[in-house]
Amino acid sequence: MAEEDEGSPNKGFKLLGILDVQRIPCSREAILHGAGGSLAAGMLYFLATSRVRRSFDVGFAGFMITTLGSWFYCRISNAKLRVQQRFLQEGIKNKVVYEGTVLDPTKKPKPEAPSAPP
Amino acid sequence: MAHPSQLGFQDATSPVMEELLHFHDHTLMIVFLISTLVLYIIIAMVTTKLTNKFILDSQEIEIIWTLLPAMILILIALPSLRILYLMDEISNSHLTIKTIGHQWYWSYEYTDYENITFDSYMTPTQDLMPGQFRLLETDHRMVVPMESPTRILVSADDVLHSWAVPSLGIKMDAVPGRLNQTAFIVSRPGVYYGQCSEICGANHSFMPIVVEAVPLKYFEDWSSLMLQDA
Repeated sequence: MAEEDEGSPNKGFKLLGILDVQRIPCSREAILHGAGGSLAAGMLYFLATSRVRRSFDVGFAGFMITTLGSWFYCRISNAKLRVQQRFLQEGIKNKVVYEGTVLDPTKKPKPEAPSAPP
Repeated sequence: MAHPSQLGFQDATSPVMEELLHFHDHTLMIVFLISTLVLYIIIAMVTTKLTNKFILDSQEIEIIWTLLPAMILILIALPSLRILYLMDEISNSHLTIKTIGHQWYWSYEYTDYENITFDSYMTPTQDLMPGQFRLLETDHRMVVPMESPTRILVSADDVLHSWAVPSLGIKMDAVPGRLNQTAFIVSRPGVYYGQCSEICGANHSFMPIVVEAVPLKYFEDWSSLMLQDA
């Protein structure tokens, strides 16, 4: 049940009161990457142009793009891992069920014995 | 079950609920980014010294704020439709259980092989054992085998009820004279709680649902026991 994971007194940290970065997979990494990307984009633009206000705008755009990119990359990787996990579980189950039978995937086919001469 | 002051979903117990949780995370991130964008724009509008009273039209920003919401909606709609059709897939169920809502208890019927029928009343607070949950425990649990597709046919005897178990991702209205069908697979053993989700009278809040998922062997033992007691 959910409360068995709530043993620690930590109630989670919610950005803007909605996004629980501690519980949602990939969210913490996405926000941190976004913060880094935002800082980098803003600083680079400012160093290039010395425009303060526009640098903030560029920084914010960098935050959005980096966060989204990191989020989708992480989520797609996790989805691929989950699919692989399901295949593995199915394979382990099949191995246990078919072990010792004709359908055992690990069983090597015996070489056919040469037929006796007439 | 939910813990006190819980706002988020309970942990998923069925593959469909896992998909729903992932979709919720995806949509929540999009909502968070939109909220951040709006907050930033508000701060920028409030702190700017630039004013122009004679703007007439601006094709570029109009295009942006038409196309961007359209793309965001497509990004939300595609996974949503995928899950919608996933939930409607017809599965070959191994077991069918009929659930009838009454005022104010649920009754369960396992009639595939033998006839097992029982009522499930809420355990009154004064009769709870230490460690049991107030307003959630029942005298008889609906026992199902884990990792086995199960079909539930939901109906009602008197007024509208609704059979809901959040951790399975199931909510189905119980309508008198109508059979509603839903199916699920429980991924792991455990006890999962739900409550009636359609107002049905004075004790609407006091007719909970308890699903107990056990390995098949224990399910067979339980059904044999229920047949003996009948």
